[in-house]
Amino acid sequence: MAGETTMPTEAAAEPNAGDKPAKPRPQVPWFRAVLDDQRLIGWSFLIALLCVWEFIVIQAKISPLYLPRPTRVVAVLWQNLMEADLATDLGLTLYRIFAGFLIALVTGVLLGVWMAVSKPVKAMADILIAALYPLPKVTLIPLLVIWLGTGGPFMLTISFMGAFFPIVINTVVGVQQCEPGLILAARDLGANLRQIVLRVLIPSAVPAIFAGIRIGLGISIILVVAAEMVVAKDGLGAKLFVAGQLLDTELVFAVLLVLALLGILITKGQDLIDDRLGLWRTN
Amino acid sequence: MTSPVIDIRFEDVRLAWETRKGPPTVALDRMRCAIPAGKVTAIIGPSGCGKSTMLQLARGFLEPSEGEIRFVDRRSGQSAPRPPMATVWQSFNLFPWLTILDNVAFGLEMSGVPKAERHARAMEALAKVDLRGFESKYPRQLSGGMRQRVGIARALVMKPEILLLDEPFGALDAQTRLVLQEQVAQIVQETGATVILITHSIEEAILLGDTIFVMTARPGRISREIEVALPKPRLLADLKRPEAVALFEEIYDLLKDEVVKAMTGESGAH
Repeated sequence: MAGETTMPTEAAAEPNAGDKPAKPRPQVPWFRAVLDDQRLIGWSFLIALLCVWEFIVIQAKISPLYLPRPTRVVAVLWQNLMEADLATDLGLTLYRIFAGFLIALVTGVLLGVWMAVSKPVKAMADILIAALYPLPKVTLIPLLVIWLGTGGPFMLTISFMGAFFPIVINTVVGVQQCEPGLILAARDLGANLRQIVLRVLIPSAVPAIFAGIRIGLGISIILVVAAEMVVAKDGLGAKLFVAGQLLDTELVFAVLLVLALLGILITKGQDLIDDRLGLWRTN
Repeated sequence: MTSPVIDIRFEDVRLAWETRKGPPTVALDRMRCAIPAGKVTAIIGPSGCGKSTMLQLARGFLEPSEGEIRFVDRRSGQSAPRPPMATVWQSFNLFPWLTILDNVAFGLEMSGVPKAERHARAMEALAKVDLRGFESKYPRQLSGGMRQRVGIARALVMKPEILLLDEPFGALDAQTRLVLQEQVAQIVQETGATVILITHSIEEAILLGDTIFVMTARPGRISREIEVALPKPRLLADLKRPEAVALFEEIYDLLKDEVVKAMTGESGAH
């Protein structure tokens, strides 16, 4: 910075705001660099756990009826994906989760924004949400079966109910936390109410809405799989339940593995989107 | 741009808020002043005297409890509709999810200007504040001084007849402020718009103002109107001229009393 004394202050302020100047990297031994890689640590730990599991099962001669080896589970999973209809079950479960979730996303954001800008709507919706939100949604399964049967509409409703409440609540919070200065600025620039809602309130609530999506999608997954276990003939939950009844422990583990992988995939995907939302966090 | 012809008149304006207990809070009382078209009026006063409230009233975001704010065509002396206005904010208030270009073009977009035209006009405004090349950045990637220049471009692109500057340099560090003050003095001069500048800084008021209104502590009223006779455009160096120094001391003396009043008033209320 020594040579910049003649430059105006604005230019001098730039480097720390825009592109970071290249920091001289301190010399570290390669094993330190490996140990610092968080992702590597996570995956290595998981693989180590599986190795220990495999080793213990072989050494202690545990029956596969109680605890199958990880390699067997993967083999069974592969076989079921290729030969049996596990892929179809997975597809069905995903469809049930995401169809209901998407409806919840659209209606939840709309109602949330409406609640945040209209006091009477908020008063009415608040009381309903206060009553319904803490209610464990699985307890509604019997009632929904009476009303809707066990087909598509039932599955749609159950996954919708899981995602809807967290999304509504987070949308309301997000909109209400909108920087008042931004609304004033938009009014100053001639925005009408509709434009303020669409161009300021909703965008500024996006990080909060996304937090709601995270929670809501998780609950939708739980509810759909649980509902499948109770009432469905197909889908991952049904597969899991039947495998348990038949004492097919390897298949039980295979389905659990699919669910775990699904969880990782969704969580990592959300992390990726979350990184992009860094845009919103500073002004 | 044709030179502005609309004066703003505050006519016995009172603004008070009801409080749950005790007497209402009076922000402004019997405020009477005329802000002349085409001039820069700097309003200076102690914290909480209602300076920013005056801007909100002029902008129409607040309604006075009593009295009225009139816009008067100085050629005919008749009341006129509210002319186009734009505000530059202390906290910038840029939309963090929009690029610099879209931030500047926001107002044009709201009024339905087609994309190609509004982008062209936004680029023009960005060039005026020396920010060409930053149009695809986001606000968080810019320094405070640059963000405020975006804020200025966003207001200028609306071609306001009245430009409201609400402590525009208040959130900037001292050095950035010095540079930006000079730049803004020049930009403002070029637009020829009527300007209301709210400020805490006596130097800033002298640097930019044609007239300086000194306000009293709450309830806010204008205690003195001072003409700044220094030639324009003014540079920071002009603040060292004897007329400027005398002006500074005059305003400082007026403010000192009011600041003390505001402080004791506050401690009395607690």
